[in-house]
Formats: sequence, structure tokens, C-alpha cells
Amino acid sequence: MELNRRNFIKFVVGGAAGIQMTPLPWKLTDDIAIWTQNWPWVPVPPVGEFTHVKSICNLCPGGCGIEVRKVDKRAVKIEGRTDYPVNPGGICPLGMGGLQLLYNESIRFTRPMKRVGPRGSGKFMDITWEEALNILAARISTLRKNGSPEALAAVDGNPIRSTMSLLIERLFKAIGSPNYVRIPTIEDTFGMASLLMQGTDGPMACDLENADYILSFGSGLSNTASKADQWVAAKPGTEAALALGLCHVIIKEGLYDTRFVNDHCFGFNDWSSANGKDHIGFKTMVLDSYSPDKAGQITGLAPGDIVSLAKEFAGAKAPVAICGKGKGALNGSLYEFMAVNSLNALVGNINRPGGVLVRDPLPLNPLPEVELDEIALQGLEKPRLDLAGSMKHPFTHSLINNFTKAIIDSSRSLVDTLLVFSANPVHTIPDGGSFRKALKKIPFIVSFSPFQDETAYMADLILPDHTYLEKTEDFIWPAGLQYPLYGLSQPVVEPIYNTKNTGDVILDLAKRIGASIGSAFPWSRFEEVLKERVKGLFDSAGGLVDHDGSTPAWQRQKEGGELNPDYKSFEEMWKKIKSTGLWYRPVHTYKTREVLFKTPTGKFEFFSSKIELAVNALSEKGSLDTALCDMAISGKGDEVFMPHYETTKYDADRSVYPLLMMPYEMINLASGWVPTPPFLNKSLFDTQLRGDESFFEINPGTAADYNLKQGDRAIIKSPEGKVRARANLSEGAMPDIIYMPLGFGHTAYDEFLQGKGVNPNDIVCAGKDPLSGLPVWWNTPVRLIKL
Amino acid sequence: MKEKHVPGKRYGMIIDLDKCTGCGTCTIACAAENNVSVRSDESDKERSITWMELFKITNGKEFPHTEVCYFPRPCMHCEEDGRGHHQPSCVSVCVATATKLDHNTGIVSQVYTRCIGCRYCQAACPYKARYFNWWDAYFPKGKGLERYLSPEVSPRMRGVVEKCTFCHHRLMRAKNLAYAEERRELEEDEYITACAEACPAQAITFGDLNNPKHRVSQLIKSPYAFRLLERLNTKPKVYYLSNKDWVRKLADNYLPGEFEKIMKLSG
Amino acid sequence: MKNPANSSEKSSKGGWMSFLKGLIPGNNDSTFVPPFSLSGWIFLLAGLIPALIVGWLIYPMALYSKQPQPMNFNHVLHLDPDVGGIEGDTETEQCLYCHEFRDDGSFVGIPRLAKCTECHDDPESPLGETLEEKDFLEKYVADEKEIPWLSYYRQPDCVYFSHIAHVRMGEMECRTCHGDHHKTENLPTYRANILTGYSINIWGKNIAGYKFNTWDRMKMDDCAECHTKKGHEENNACFVCHK
Repeated sequence: MELNRRNFIKFVVGGAAGIQMTPLPWKLTDDIAIWTQNWPWVPVPPVGEFTHVKSICNLCPGGCGIEVRKVDKRAVKIEGRTDYPVNPGGICPLGMGGLQLLYNESIRFTRPMKRVGPRGSGKFMDITWEEALNILAARISTLRKNGSPEALAAVDGNPIRSTMSLLIERLFKAIGSPNYVRIPTIEDTFGMASLLMQGTDGPMACDLENADYILSFGSGLSNTASKADQWVAAKPGTEAALALGLCHVIIKEGLYDTRFVNDHCFGFNDWSSANGKDHIGFKTMVLDSYSPDKAGQITGLAPGDIVSLAKEFAGAKAPVAICGKGKGALNGSLYEFMAVNSLNALVGNINRPGGVLVRDPLPLNPLPEVELDEIALQGLEKPRLDLAGSMKHPFTHSLINNFTKAIIDSSRSLVDTLLVFSANPVHTIPDGGSFRKALKKIPFIVSFSPFQDETAYMADLILPDHTYLEKTEDFIWPAGLQYPLYGLSQPVVEPIYNTKNTGDVILDLAKRIGASIGSAFPWSRFEEVLKERVKGLFDSAGGLVDHDGSTPAWQRQKEGGELNPDYKSFEEMWKKIKSTGLWYRPVHTYKTREVLFKTPTGKFEFFSSKIELAVNALSEKGSLDTALCDMAISGKGDEVFMPHYETTKYDADRSVYPLLMMPYEMINLASGWVPTPPFLNKSLFDTQLRGDESFFEINPGTAADYNLKQGDRAIIKSPEGKVRARANLSEGAMPDIIYMPLGFGHTAYDEFLQGKGVNPNDIVCAGKDPLSGLPVWWNTPVRLIKL
Repeated sequence: MKEKHVPGKRYGMIIDLDKCTGCGTCTIACAAENNVSVRSDESDKERSITWMELFKITNGKEFPHTEVCYFPRPCMHCEEDGRGHHQPSCVSVCVATATKLDHNTGIVSQVYTRCIGCRYCQAACPYKARYFNWWDAYFPKGKGLERYLSPEVSPRMRGVVEKCTFCHHRLMRAKNLAYAEERRELEEDEYITACAEACPAQAITFGDLNNPKHRVSQLIKSPYAFRLLERLNTKPKVYYLSNKDWVRKLADNYLPGEFEKIMKLSG
Repeated sequence: MKNPANSSEKSSKGGWMSFLKGLIPGNNDSTFVPPFSLSGWIFLLAGLIPALIVGWLIYPMALYSKQPQPMNFNHVLHLDPDVGGIEGDTETEQCLYCHEFRDDGSFVGIPRLAKCTECHDDPESPLGETLEEKDFLEKYVADEKEIPWLSYYRQPDCVYFSHIAHVRMGEMECRTCHGDHHKTENLPTYRANILTGYSINIWGKNIAGYKFNTWDRMKMDDCAECHTKKGHEENNACFVCHK
């Protein structure tokens, strides 16, 4: 009975046999197999009850309806709504990725903070909302005490006409600063073009539902252009010449609507003014200067193509010409937009089904007048830094490039405190990086951004807003929609961090500043402001608060159905708007053309009386030549007052910088103030981004001149700076133009975005658009250096 | 109660390439719906995962006669392997029975917990519709990105292959709703994939190819409907539609002059 | 001629015995001791019996953790008609009163607090006289806090299961899979597999995986077995139960 080798082996054999006779080995094998399927670091999404919340997307000015799928308190998927008039069920890539903005903690500000490290170091310290608002209120009060409220400035990227932007503008008025600067969008140019030709600056609405021929003057390289029936690519910045070339053919061939042109238009034929001065009309100007040959020369198109396009356009029943570049987040060229709208007028397709609709703004209640105190009155007397609305640029609301330049050029700090709302000008303004330089001369910067963007990174005080999925705000009539629409978003999820709706913050701030400013903001919550404005919609009587995508209201109406609002009291209507998110009036009463146009002549103006008045007023101070020079107009004589083509003036020596660089917006890349959700990176081609390098598009012929092959690296140099990118040889690219996508090249955010690609805005050498003074971002002279 | 057998379905899709603008919403809708992992570098297309991948083709002509066409490519849910066997080529090579063709729905399944990561199926797929997880799902601590994950689709671990499932969980979701309403049959629009739902150009139509009333079964009868690499005989259930000859010609490896003989030309 | 095959045959006669003998040092043919003497059996059993004890008794205990439920729940009491409990024509109907289907056809599983407060609506006035209920009202109803129940029947994340398809369309009884859970006065201790994290009810209380009742185990084969038996082989397709 000793434990010798033999017995030990027996013991082991017995043990092994015993274990085999139990379930242990089999169960263990099974469990280990399951264990390998459940690594603790692979997330297991918690289950729960599914619900859906309807809201509106604010990631671009489009304002699509969204329906968010939730599991208990978590939002898990954004989908398009079929019961919202803007988008029939679909949604864009950016909107689809919205949850990655909501839930990515490393790109969000989660609480109010103040800067502690050197500016731009990203070192911030937590503070309470109480402290943060007191700091800002004290600063503003001091400025006012010192009699310089104008040293407070705002850069606001909220959509035009939204209640949020109205509230910020109101705050600036009450404080007494004229320096409320908006980020320019296509709406600015639309508004001006309609004001000058039609007399109202309401939203540009086209009845695309009923149009049978749509001619779009968008930039050439867009995805959508690949689907247009007719793809006509004029050189960037020469679209006006193309439009006028088409006008030439239409007039010469007698294809225009003579009744409309004769009865309701001003300045078509040659005319004499009351003082006996003779003027040439639009007809003469176009016939003289824009023959297909000349237009072809300017635009780089074949004259034959221009003729056939014009005939096709004029031959359609309801043709409509629409202007714009990219997604509409950037401004256009004023004379170009006027030239395109002339096409609509020539075919008489204004205020007609399937044409351009001249619309009044939404009947929202205006907010009560602000009572200004002495300091505010004096402050508002001071000139705006950006000269917008001045005699030089009388029709423009804001000129951010001028604002930047004024700050940089001054020897002192013209702006003491800058508030930045829903904007990231450091990254998005096409100014060759000037805004970043201007920030260095501003002692105190306050960011209201929910995201840790480039501009917020430079801020001294962070008062983070909710993201769009956590708050209520309004969306007023997105551009292009033919019917008046008021959209209201609602919090899809409870705010997940210690952030606050900037609307509420402004009301709080105004009360802390006190005096006449506090009393200009009698509301306790932002929602009350929204409600007060919406009351105007109720008072205007009518309008629906729901929309059925399968049988839209206009269709029901066509079939003889009634469009009676399903609410009796304002409270009921407000409650419904809050749940459906919309108020909508899907009818258009076509006014007679006699009362339609609010221009000085009461007609559609080919010859703009307003431009004439403005030019004359400025000429009185000096000469006509200096006036035109100040307004950046190079045209001569009567054409100044009419849509015409102006050659771009370059400061750069074109023999050194022979190519042109055109930034372009991509639908699957956020180029505005919101960051790109990481999902979108999946949809980029590896000829758009590869590793950390982005690509520029170049015509193979042009590339051959520089000995560039697909994927080769090159430096693109403009007078403003240089960037390095790789070449993507693209047959669709126009010769001698270099196309660079907007939205890359972030220095802020996290590993999904930071350092990926280059930002073409850094090398844009923006000229001034004639008359409007807005930045000309679409053609920067550059040269290419192969690496 | 003896259960009545529901006649078999053959779910399929047709993508109108003349409507597709190449915006990429389908790719993103798919990724968001199916908890597809996103890494910091998605530009290495050999490594990144995009169940619905977008490709760009051009007619190769010089400016300004260049035409561009985008085509999104999901899993084709093939019915045969090209040699007459009633299972797709990825299924025949799977050593772990991790992927199967369900003859009642026509959907090719992929069970991640069963997959051993041998990648045979990836090699066998003529459409490159299968993706290997080279890394674990990327949800770094402190970001909180895992909060948007949907519980309807199981997140994948490193070392397994994944692919488009025709949003199978949406079929289950629709069935549950139908059962709650005491129905067995689904309406046409009750079950559609996330990509078809999201497409802003409404270029994707999804439905039952066995049901002649469904739009998809009508659309595939168009002379301009085609499938990718049709002559491999894999019988994909994803169809495309384009009346541009050059687009249809690029869908298979035609010899010079061959396409013109086989296909109906436009115009 | 010598055949090497033959010679090897010869030498292999009684080969294994001599092979074993050779293993034991100092042994030769004359002092051969058979390998299985009494003392040999003792050593063998000394290995075998503890191994059986480990495999059948200790291992199952060590494999599963024990976690108490946050509070007790008396199913019997809630279904007792004498105290105004939940009524129903069938057992299934009674179960569905709390473990209900949502409008979208999904199954709530363990009910949320909101379901409890449909009856236990006032934290100040209990419906019964049990201490458990008082505790529950104070701790959860008063604070509107969800009860962190541990689910006995939670399937892995890769599994999809539609209750409505089985209960309403397939007209199955709850007890087919869940047994007599509704007859418990005290909630059993929750035990989870320390390797996989799954509840013991998935594999079954019986470590051998033997099934005496349909509800003893909830593994994939059990689902498939039932599908096959009932003639629903089409439901054995992978994606019917996997997500």
C-alpha cells in the first residue's frame, strides 16, 4: 500500500476516468466556447421598450423631418419622416449620423467652463452656470458703463429668420452694439436678388412640384449634377454669362413671354428717365454683349450648346431656372443670381404654377419693440465694423470677411468681447485663415457651441448649448420650399450633460445685465418666446398642423378636399405643433401681377431702381467712379443696374498662379459648423481621403501638364498659403481647375476628424462680390507643385 | 391548431442607378441600423466595414462628355453558387455552418457566434460583399458612443465575418407587429431595409420577388434591369436598373461586341 | 528464409504484459505482480471517487455564483383569487396580465415598476399585509425607482426570441419553457455561470444537461427539437433565432 509509481499512475488514471464520467469536461468545453463569444469589451446594447420621437434636423439649413427610434431613454436610430413636407421619408447622410454627435463625449462640451491655460491650449476649468453667466454679464455691463457697447460683437450661424437669431439680434440691439454679424449663406444672395428685382426679400420659393424643366446653375462637380438631364458646366464664376447668353438666344429668337415682359417688367426695352436721360434696356444690353459666341468664350462652352439649351428651356411649358452653389451653406454671386432670375422673367414664369413664387414672410408675431436706453442709442449710432448695410453695401446684412479685416487692420482691439453662436468661423469662413488671426486681437471670446470646435478651442468662456436632439427651436421656411412652413423641434432625449439651451441662457443673461436690457426680455423661458411668435400664425387664420406624406394636402385640395385646420383655440394649436413639429399652409394664392412686385416701379425690374438710388447716393459723396469702385463693381454705364457678368479681378499674378482652385461641398461631409459624424467616413471613396491625406480633383489633361499621376502628392499654393494633398484624376473636372472638398482639415475634435485632410478655406484668397461685397470663394488663383 | 404554412418568400431589391446620386445615405443608414463598427481610419477599403458599399464608375470619356454613375452594393443574397447547387458560393465553403441560405425568405444569414473567421466565404464571394473584423468593435471608453447601439443587432467581436442581412431584424420586427394585430401576412411596405427607407432619391425598392404585386417584382421585368456578373449564374436577388448602355455593359465582363448581341439597347 | 513479419508476430505474443512489466523498475518475469491487486484498486478508486464528487457535486457548485434578488416576489399570492389576485381563463392569460405584449408585439419580460403601480399605486396604503410589500412600497414605489431584478431566462445577446410568435401564434403555454415559476412563493436564488455569465436556467439545474421536462433547459437544441417535433423545420433557419 505504498504510493509508488505504479499506484500513483493508478490514482491518476482513476481520477481521469472519473472526470470523464462526469459532465465536467463537456460542460466546461461548452462554457469556454460561449465565454469566447462574450468578450467583456464587446458592448451588449441593453434591451427595452421601443418608442419613436418626431423632431426636426438642424444640421443644415434644409431642416428635414426626423423620427428618432429610442430604446427606453437611449436614441438608437434617426430616420426620415414621411409626415413632414420637406423630405418625403428620406434623409441625408449627415442627418443619419446625428446620434454620433449627440453621444460622442469627446467632441462635446459637457458643462460650462473657463479657460485656464494659454489660449488654444485646450485647458479649461469647470465652473457653474451661475459663475459663467455672472462673468459675462459683468463684462457686458462694464463695456456699457465705459460707453463702448459696440465693442461687443457676435458671430451668429443660426438660420436666418429663426427665433434664436432674432433673440440674439435683439440682445445686441438692447445692449447697444451694431456688430451683430451673421455667417453668410445662399439665403443672403437669394434675398438680395429678389429684393432688387421683385421688391421683397422673402424666401425664394420655386414650385418645383409643377415645373417641367429645371435648369440648375449649381457648381459642376456635385453628385446631383450627375443626374441632371442636361449637364452644362461653365467655368466657376462665369454662370452669369451663361445665363445672359441664354437670354440672348431667347430674346433674339423671340421666344420670350412678350405680355409679361411688356406689362409687368421695367427696364427691358430702352427707356428715358423723367429728367430726359436715355437708358439702354436689358434687351439691348444682352443682344449687344452676350451673343452665344461671346458667352461661349467666357464660359468655355460651345456656342451651339448654349443655343440649343436656350431653345429647350424656352420651349418647356413650365421651365424654371434655379441658382446656387453646393448645399446652400455658402453665399452666391448677386449679379449671377439676378441673371438667372432674368431667365425666369423672360419666360414669364414668375408667380405662376411651376415657377418662381413671390412670397410674403410667415405671419409670425413680431417681438415687442425694444426700449433703448441712452447707452444703447449711442452705441447703435456707431458704424458697423463690416460696413454691411452702409452706403457701400446697402443691401447686405452681414459681411464677415470685412469684419475680420477690420479687426486685423486696426491697431487697437476694436472688439473686446466676441460671442459665437452656432458657428465655427475659424474653420468654415473662406478667408485664408484670417479669422483665426483676428481672434488673437479679441481679448475675450465666448463660445456657445455644444461641440469642441476650432473656434470654441480659442474661447475664454464656454457656455455649451444643447445639441439639436436635446432642445426645442424653430425652423422657418427652408429655402426652395414652395409653401410656408414653420417647423418646431423637440427634445428627442433628455439633455445628457450639464448644458443649457442658448435661448434660455440669453434670457438669463439679459436679466443679469439688468436695466433696459432685462426688461427687453420679459420671458422666463425660450419656449415662451417661440409660443408668442407662433400666436401670429394662429391669428392669421388657417394653416395645417399635420402632414400626410401619402396624400399631401395640395393633392387633397386638387381632388376637391377641404383643408380645414383641426384646432379651435391657440392653446390646442400650440399643443399640436409641439407634437407634430409643424405648421403649414399648403396653398398659394396667386396675387395679380399688378400688386405683386414691391419694387419702386411696382414691376419686375430688369433695371433695378434700388441699385440706381444706391449708386447715386454714394456718387454724391464723391464721383461715380469712386462709388462703383467702393461697391466693387467694375461694370460701366447702365449695365451696373442690370444683371450682367463681371470678370473676376485677381490680386494675384496669374502667370505665377495659373490655375484656379474651387472649394466644393460634399453631401457626405459636414462642411458647416457641426462636425462630421464618423459614420460618414465610411461613405468616402479612397480617392477622396486615404489615411490622413485628402485629394483634390483635377482633369487628367491638366494633370499631365504637371506630370501628375493618380494619387501623386502636390502642394497647392495660393497667395494666402499652401496645402498638401493628393491628386485624383477625374474626367469630370474642368481643365485648369482644381477642386478641393470642404469639411476636411480639422484641427479640433477627436481621432475620427482631427488632422484628416486639408481645409481649402486656408488658402482661399477671397475677392469681393460686386455690389453685395460677400466673399468670392469659388475661384482662387493657385499654382501646383508636384512633390 | 395545425399551423398554416406561409408560402415562401424571396426577398430582393432593385436599385435604380439613374436615380442614385451617390450621396452615401444608404451606406450610413445601414451602418447605423446594424451597429457596424466605425474606426478612426475608414479609408483603407480592404479593412473597413461597409455592408452597403458605394462604388463610382465613369464612361471614361473626356470632359465635358464624361458621365458618372454610382452604384451601391449590398450582399446579393445569391440563390446558387454558379454550378447549379441551390446555395450561394459563400455557403458551400463555410466550414462552420455559420452562413446559410434560408429558403423561406431567400436571405443568406450570418451567425457571428458561429463564425470561426477562416474567411473562406470572403474569398468565395464574387461581389466582395463580406467583411472581416480585423479588430474588435471600436467603442473606446470615455466616449460613450456605445449608447447609440441598437439591441436588435448583436455587435460583432474581432475575428468574424459579417455582411448585409437585408436588415433581417426588421423582418422580425414587422412580423411581431403583424402578430400583435393577429395577422400572419406582411404588407409590402412593412418590411423594407434601412437603406431603402433612407434613400433620399428613392432609388432602392425592396420587396418579395415571389409576390407579383410587389413593385420590386414588376421593376425587375424591365429590359433595363440587370444583375452584377449575371453570367456567373449565382442568381443574385439584388437587381439594378439603368437605361444607360455603358452602365449595363460594365456590370459583367463582356467581350468586345458581346454585350450588344445579348442585351437590349436603349433608344 | 526468416520472415521479419513472422518474427515480429512472435515477439508480440503477450506483448502488452511484458511491456507493462518492463515499466516497473526492478521487476522481472519471476516476480510478476498483476497490476490490479487490491491495493491497486484502492488507488484507482482514490482517484476515481473524488473525481466523480468534483465533477458531479463540487463543480456545479463552483461554476455558478449565487446572487439574491433585490426583493422577494410571491407569484402564488398575486394569482390567489381569495385575495383579489390576478384572474384569467387560462394560466397563460394570467401570466400575460403582467408579463404582457406591447403594442408593437414585443414582450416586456419582467414588468417595469409602472406595471406594479397600476395596483400598488399609493405608497402609503399597502394592498396586503406582508412585510415584503411594505418594503417594496417604501424602497421603490415611493422613490419611483425601478427594481433591479435579475432575469432567470435572459438569453445571450446573439439570440432573438419572439414571445408573441410562440404564445399567441403558436398557442404555446408559458410553462412549456418556464415551468411552474408561477407556483413559487419565494423567488429562487439567482445563479449565474461564472464563465459565461448566463443564468443557470439556460443550461438547466441538472449539470448533466438531462431533461426531464420541456422547461428544464433552454439551449439551441431544445428550440430546434421542438420546432422539428411540431413540424416547423423552416423555423430552424439560423436567422429565425439569431441576430
